[in-house]
Amino acid sequence: MMNDAIIWVIVIPLLGSLISIIWSRYASIIAIISNLLALAASIIIVANVYQYGPFNHALGSWQSGLGISLRADALSSILLLMSMIVISAATFYASAYFTDPVKRARFWPLWLMLVVALNALLLSGDLFNLYVTLELLGLSAVALTALSDTRAALQAAIRYLSIGLLGSLVFLAGVALVYMGYGTLDLVALSHKVQAEPLSQVAFGLMTAGLLIKSALFPLHFWLPSAHASAPAPVSAALSALVVKVAVYILLRLWVDVFDLVLTPLSAMLLGTLGAIAVIWGSWQALQAQRLKLMAAYSTVAQIGYLFIFLPLIVALPEGPVQDAAFTALLLMALTHGFAKSAFFLSAGVIQQYCGHDRIAELGGTARALPLTIFVIALSGVALIGLPPSGSFLGKWYLISGSFQAGQWWWVPVIAIGSVLATAYVFRILGYAFGPGESVGRVLNRGREEIPALLLALFATLILGLGSFELWDFVAQHSEFLRG
Amino acid sequence: MISEQLLYSLAGVGLFGIGLRATLLHHMLLLRLLALNVCGAGVFLIFIAIAYSGVELMADPVPHALVLTGIVVAVSATAMALALGRRLAALNDE
Amino acid sequence: MIELLWSIFDITLVLLLLALAWTTCSTQDVKRAVTLFIAMGLLLAIVWARLKAPDLALAEAVIGAGISGALLLSAIKDYPSNMVSHRSTLIEGIINSLTLVLTILMSWAVWHGLNMSDGVRLSEPVISQLPVSGVSNPVTAVLLNYRAYDTLLELAVVLTAVLTVLTLNEKRVDYEFSSPLLQGMTRWLVPLLVVTSGYLLWVGAHAPGGAFQAGAMLAAAMILLQLAYPSRRQEFNNSLLKILLVIGIFTFLLVGLWMMSLNDDFLAFTPAWAGTLILIIETAATVSIATALTLAYLGGRPRGWEDTNRTSRSIAENGGAG
Repeated sequence: MMNDAIIWVIVIPLLGSLISIIWSRYASIIAIISNLLALAASIIIVANVYQYGPFNHALGSWQSGLGISLRADALSSILLLMSMIVISAATFYASAYFTDPVKRARFWPLWLMLVVALNALLLSGDLFNLYVTLELLGLSAVALTALSDTRAALQAAIRYLSIGLLGSLVFLAGVALVYMGYGTLDLVALSHKVQAEPLSQVAFGLMTAGLLIKSALFPLHFWLPSAHASAPAPVSAALSALVVKVAVYILLRLWVDVFDLVLTPLSAMLLGTLGAIAVIWGSWQALQAQRLKLMAAYSTVAQIGYLFIFLPLIVALPEGPVQDAAFTALLLMALTHGFAKSAFFLSAGVIQQYCGHDRIAELGGTARALPLTIFVIALSGVALIGLPPSGSFLGKWYLISGSFQAGQWWWVPVIAIGSVLATAYVFRILGYAFGPGESVGRVLNRGREEIPALLLALFATLILGLGSFELWDFVAQHSEFLRG
Repeated sequence: MISEQLLYSLAGVGLFGIGLRATLLHHMLLLRLLALNVCGAGVFLIFIAIAYSGVELMADPVPHALVLTGIVVAVSATAMALALGRRLAALNDE
Repeated sequence: MIELLWSIFDITLVLLLLALAWTTCSTQDVKRAVTLFIAMGLLLAIVWARLKAPDLALAEAVIGAGISGALLLSAIKDYPSNMVSHRSTLIEGIINSLTLVLTILMSWAVWHGLNMSDGVRLSEPVISQLPVSGVSNPVTAVLLNYRAYDTLLELAVVLTAVLTVLTLNEKRVDYEFSSPLLQGMTRWLVPLLVVTSGYLLWVGAHAPGGAFQAGAMLAAAMILLQLAYPSRRQEFNNSLLKILLVIGIFTFLLVGLWMMSLNDDFLAFTPAWAGTLILIIETAATVSIATALTLAYLGGRPRGWEDTNRTSRSIAENGGAG
């Protein structure tokens, strides 16, 4: 069952993409069905990992790393599930969002390719396979960004592509060095073989650098705001919530799994510091932003920063429940942000379609016109700020307590400032939205668009927060590497 | 005499460095793309240099397959980048 | 003595390669840069041959220098010929020093890496499993059997790129230059290219060759045809084109899923049928790659490509929806 589910979650969207090229008229239906089926498969995978533990499958059953393995453990399966939930919601949204049949025909095949890339990446257990999935992810993301067909979108897409290719090549250079030294590309095999030596250190540095570009960590974040802001709304949701996250996932996997003997507390501290700068810089820029989507994009830069602050803590804390807690908190923050930011972008899309623009200062009256949408923005804002009962509240709580326990108290003011700034920029939007302006509208304006957004926001704010204990157990029991 | 593996690996590193530098320096998309391709060629060269096992033995076929994949990916990305550039130019002319 | 000659040859090759790379990267003239790049591609093909990678030499020549070169050449006119890119001297200095440091670090890593490796590579398992793989060319075995999943995703990458190229721009109308010389050459070259492509596809199972080289060569033939006879350009049936584009991945998936139902493992070929299955996949892949690369070069939307509503001929009349 598990064997099959792992394959189906990758193959179904791929088939869907091919079919939607041929039969573009039915592309929306094909996409919805494909994504729902893939969602079902991802649920099976999570359930399976929950019951039986981490799962590793060598495709073709070739011995000694000759082939490629797929693997699923708690971390990757949870991220996979989140990914499919966000994608499914955004798919429903997108079926109503695109009114131009031409854009629609271009969108669906690329969207499904994005799904293939995301799923293949999360389940990959081979270094070079990771590179190929990264490339597929990058190319489809860029193609989707360019779909807006505006000057800004094209410029952003070109920059995104150039820097993305650079990141992939730097990553690949690291892979080459790893193969040179250890003669295998299999992640599990490498986790046993890699020692701290010049070759692995340089390879580690290269791969980290490539992935930092892809995760948009300050100062390599400059490509993100324009790309996420000028892409179509469902694309922006996927980009901020998922595409950037999976790069962080790979980095985490490599750091904790493969290169755990190579990394140094200093390097972790460096990344943590960059993360801290990202939090403050991103939040500040978000506050200054005039446009809703640009604000959301900068907010992503900040939220990614939070994820990186976890790194020096995880490295510094001793193995055991405290380290596990920090790790799960990281996951919780990543998940919360994924749901919250995608809900936010989808809502921003609704506003943009309704008002014809997304300028924050001119949002007066939207609270009356689009009450559900503004409610969703408020909900996701709660999760972005980190108020209870959202998942990110717990995440930040553990971040703070972990900082004290590791003796790295200096992260705490950063988190505080970041949260304050987030409060400011969220309330700024709400302030304008509830301000004076024309029009009164029904509660549910564009159901197919608003309901998915609502569901996502609810996930972020309520479900994750309330369900976090199950998550804690799950991750602690079933993460491959946390058990040594 | 240094081994072929070392010589060509270092050549690969050299290409990588040259390409990287040019990628970061160039403004124009086309020149950046060329530099990225040179950078990629450097990485490929490192792979194939590792694979080379001397005159007698057969070379390691796995890096060959990997580089073949890499070449195809590179040409696809180049084609897409050029098309994006063309579209931007068309939009700028309007 | 022979050793010395080889070393001189190697060092010359490397120096030439680095020199070409350097001039390609540092020139500001677009035409010059592309030409040098193509030359570097050809030199790289020689290097691959020297390093006993004939599959790669073929691929680099056809895809790396050939198709890539053609793409870049046709893009030259879109760019001003002599734009000087000025970065501030400070940033340039930082970039220069950073890359220099990185190069030194990587060289140091390579030096250590080569000394430390115990020679354990994947070549032994590849060779030992070769009889079960269905082919005798080890590279093909890796590409289409052991690591077939990678190749599947790679085809997806190609498709994604082509889809973007096809939908982004209006169709190019600037291939109006042709000459009797080109047409005469084409009459000889195209059949030759097509036959060689078929040969490469067939022979890939036991000698250097395979779907990618064959597909690219076929694409080269098609491009040549379009260039030489622009007025007689065939308007292909768009549905046919779409099917040709997806048939590679589709066949791959079908075979993989069929094997999954038989052997409970995706893309695990039953050894007895492996050779035939690989050939089937490779043929479909060749067709898709050839279509993809040709369309990528020609660029732009074919007429009626986005005619999602079959009854609206008027859209087709106006050269595609905007």
